[in-house]
Amino acid sequence: MLKIKNLKADVESKSILNNFNLEIKPGEVHAIMGPNGSGKSTLSNILSGKKGYDVSGEILFENKNLFELETEERAHKGIFLAFQYPLEIPGVNTNIFLKTSLNAIKKARGEKELDAIEFLKLVKLKAKELKFDEEKLNRQLNVGFSGGEKKKNEILQMSILNPKLSILDETDSGLDIDALKIVADGVNSLRKKDNSFLIITHYQRLLDYIKPDYVHVLMNGHIIKSGGPELALELENKGYENFN
Amino acid sequence: MEEQLKIDFEKLLENSNFSKKNAEIKRKNFDNFIEKGFPNRREENWKFSDLNQIISKNIKNLSFYNDLSKPNKIDQSIYIDGLEHNKLVFVNGRIEKIEFDYEEKNKIEILDDLVLEKSNNTTNSLLFLNNAFVSKYFKLIVKKNYSLQKPLVIYNITNKDLVSKNINLKVDIFLEENSSLKLIEFSNDKSTTNFININYNFNVQKNSILKNYKIDNNSNSNIKYCFNNISQDANSVSEIFLLSSGSEFIKNEINCNLNGKYSSAFVNGVFILNETKHHEIKTNINHIVENTKSYQLIKGVLEDTSKAVYQGKIFVDSKAQKTDGYQLSKAILLNDNTEFNAKPELEIYADDVKCSHGSASGSLNEDSIFYLMSRGLNYKEAKKLLINGFLLDVVEKITDSEIKNLIKNIMSLKQ
Repeated sequence: MLKIKNLKADVESKSILNNFNLEIKPGEVHAIMGPNGSGKSTLSNILSGKKGYDVSGEILFENKNLFELETEERAHKGIFLAFQYPLEIPGVNTNIFLKTSLNAIKKARGEKELDAIEFLKLVKLKAKELKFDEEKLNRQLNVGFSGGEKKKNEILQMSILNPKLSILDETDSGLDIDALKIVADGVNSLRKKDNSFLIITHYQRLLDYIKPDYVHVLMNGHIIKSGGPELALELENKGYENFN
Repeated sequence: MEEQLKIDFEKLLENSNFSKKNAEIKRKNFDNFIEKGFPNRREENWKFSDLNQIISKNIKNLSFYNDLSKPNKIDQSIYIDGLEHNKLVFVNGRIEKIEFDYEEKNKIEILDDLVLEKSNNTTNSLLFLNNAFVSKYFKLIVKKNYSLQKPLVIYNITNKDLVSKNINLKVDIFLEENSSLKLIEFSNDKSTTNFININYNFNVQKNSILKNYKIDNNSNSNIKYCFNNISQDANSVSEIFLLSSGSEFIKNEINCNLNGKYSSAFVNGVFILNETKHHEIKTNINHIVENTKSYQLIKGVLEDTSKAVYQGKIFVDSKAQKTDGYQLSKAILLNDNTEFNAKPELEIYADDVKCSHGSASGSLNEDSIFYLMSRGLNYKEAKKLLINGFLLDVVEKITDSEIKNLIKNIMSLKQ
């Protein structure tokens, strides 16, 4: 599904990622762990098409060169980024935003757009599954939401858009244990043989709830070690400092 | 230009039947205007909008006499659809229709005999010009305890026959005690490079409510000035909303005197400007007595080389204790060549007051755009959503839900 070959990324001639390689197959859950400043967020930004990076190498998503696609085209193809810091968008109603987003993607794919009633039915169902306060859907997008609510809102968007590849950028940071469970349940309910996940995190904690197939350690701009879930525990015990 | 003014003024007196008193007052105003001329940037009030320069740059051979003897056809397609309303229609400065079908006839009074005040202690040269050249006049009196059933829409239409003319309009609205009026001013211009000078006087008596929505939305090359004088008695409310977008230049000046206790004034406005448009909102909110309140919220979205100016003044008299005054202005500058000038002024002579002001401007947040694009919206859609969201809270201040919806439709803010 996703093949990253020899990715190099600089910001203002400072190297962030170098010789970065990763392959994710359909249905797999990969976790990337790494210390602060190792390039985790850069990776998720580049996958989503954020501007401002000098990049080289190759990223193929379903055999399509991602560098040729704009951010919104990547979303249409099924890439979703759950933001580390979801933005507050004043004056934009959450429900309306969700519907606009879903229908933009459906339209780009040539699928039938949902009308207001169909959409409300879907959003109510998903909100209930995630224990997301429905009343908040009528508020301005993320405005005045707590950190946990913002993260849950990301997962709600993910579950409505039903992407092929979901990238979770430190979705666990700032969540209490109950919210963490809800978020993990949301992710687990989306695990299917065609849907893949890339989970970016500092801590092993989230991986107690979302069992990854592979764990990668990102340091100094590239993956220094890959393994199974046990690698996360090893990291937790040793710390990044002593890990090599 | 002075020569043209003199010729046109004599022509006006010759061709109109002004009373002797009116003619005298007109001549006095005319002399005052000749002496002062169009305002320029040396006047504090006009420092961001040099009208003298704007007129000479945009209008070739401005003339001041306007033959109002022949009726003009009204293009009915511009009437507001889906809103039952009373109508007052100006076409090229001539009143073409007065229609109050929804109202009890003995509850309103309409006067169109020009009444000019002998002494108005103004120094505003554009009011001199208006008084000198105005010939059509409209006054509406809403009687005690009466609320108009439907809004009044004043259509200010100019058609393509009108070129490089000065049009002066004068409208007085008198709300007797415990009455109310919703007034929409809707301009539609197909004319080119005229100077349109409008003078509104609102007298809002005890317990009365004035809601005034000014819509300047269709793109045109005219230069406009609209002076609004509002006097408010006890417990009265005025609510003004400005959609400032279509004209090449427009300055809306609002002078509001809160003369009665517990009176309040709300001025909300949005600038949506592109190309070389230059718009200004200037307010003077005068808190004259205690326990009065004012609230102002102005937002702008500027593109190309457009320019917006907001000069908001709150004056608090020494007697006006417990005043509550608030103003905030914000602008999004969509490129480097746009300009937003905000000059908040607080002049306070009382010691027990609550007054605040603020202003901010900046570009669209690229991170927010990225966030929306990562959800499948293209750049244009993301930008539009953010801009609409930015402007929406000003429109949400409109208290009449029917008119709020109308204005949302006009601004394509419907979500």
